[in-house]
Amino acid sequence: MPVFRWGSAFDAFRDLEREMDHLLHSVNMAFEGLRIGRPFPAVNIYELEGEYLLTAELPGTRVEDLDLSVANGKLTIRGRRTSTPEINEQQFRRSERAQGQWERSFTLPERVQEDGLHAELNNGVLKLHLPKAPSTVPRQIPVSDGHTAPLTIETRGERS
Amino acid sequence: MTPELNPRSSDLPSRTQDTPAVPPPQQHWVCTPPIDIFETPEGLVLRADLPGVTAETLDVQVQDNKLTLLGRVVEQAPAGATLIHQEYHVGDFVRSFILSDDVDHDRITAKISNGVLDLLLPRIPKTEPRKIQVRAD
Repeated sequence: MPVFRWGSAFDAFRDLEREMDHLLHSVNMAFEGLRIGRPFPAVNIYELEGEYLLTAELPGTRVEDLDLSVANGKLTIRGRRTSTPEINEQQFRRSERAQGQWERSFTLPERVQEDGLHAELNNGVLKLHLPKAPSTVPRQIPVSDGHTAPLTIETRGERS
Repeated sequence: MTPELNPRSSDLPSRTQDTPAVPPPQQHWVCTPPIDIFETPEGLVLRADLPGVTAETLDVQVQDNKLTLLGRVVEQAPAGATLIHQEYHVGDFVRSFILSDDVDHDRITAKISNGVLDLLLPRIPKTEPRKIQVRAD
């Protein structure tokens, strides 16, 4: 065990969080502390007139580290946080940032045009646009007794 | 405007037409960014996750021994969007630290890319021990 270390481990960065917390409570501001133990990445979903918008905070993620795929109405976001292999654990004084591989899946809301999905990644914020399908046609679902005809789904109205 | 105190509450719909509803003030969120601190031969590196923050919207201040990060973030969704699922708040990032005296305040540098800030905190170079000649009378 090293007897002397440059700037003892945590004293070098005495945290002012508690103090800041106090300060912020006196002002009309809402405060969100560290997000530890929550799913990474955190995701918000918005509904707009013509689309759904999924936003995710992915700091440090490059476009090539990100993989989005859609299959069977399920959207999967997969990625990798570039870790710091050149830094060994001994050198860390504090480690709060999530690292490694992650994956999250979402069931797409109905009426989303899967081929119209597009996404942008800027400054560590992902914006995924999920355009709504133009209009849904009422569907007639025939019911068979299970012995005669197989169940078929028939669409009524016009659909190009 | 307090509808409960309005004696003619049946008039409310027409009243709201006369005076357009004032949108409730946007609640301002402040978030604590997660950080890593590691030691390098030159000093310390402080790495902070600041998604949505750019070099233009980031303020790093050192006053006396206090280092403060303030990253401003713009709303991610366009106006009129309805939030239907929420796991995080969009808000400015604030965090402060007390620097040790070993950090060379004048040589602190900062770099931000893809929403990750790297603050390099070089240590003050150690002065070489100086040998003092002792003369005998």
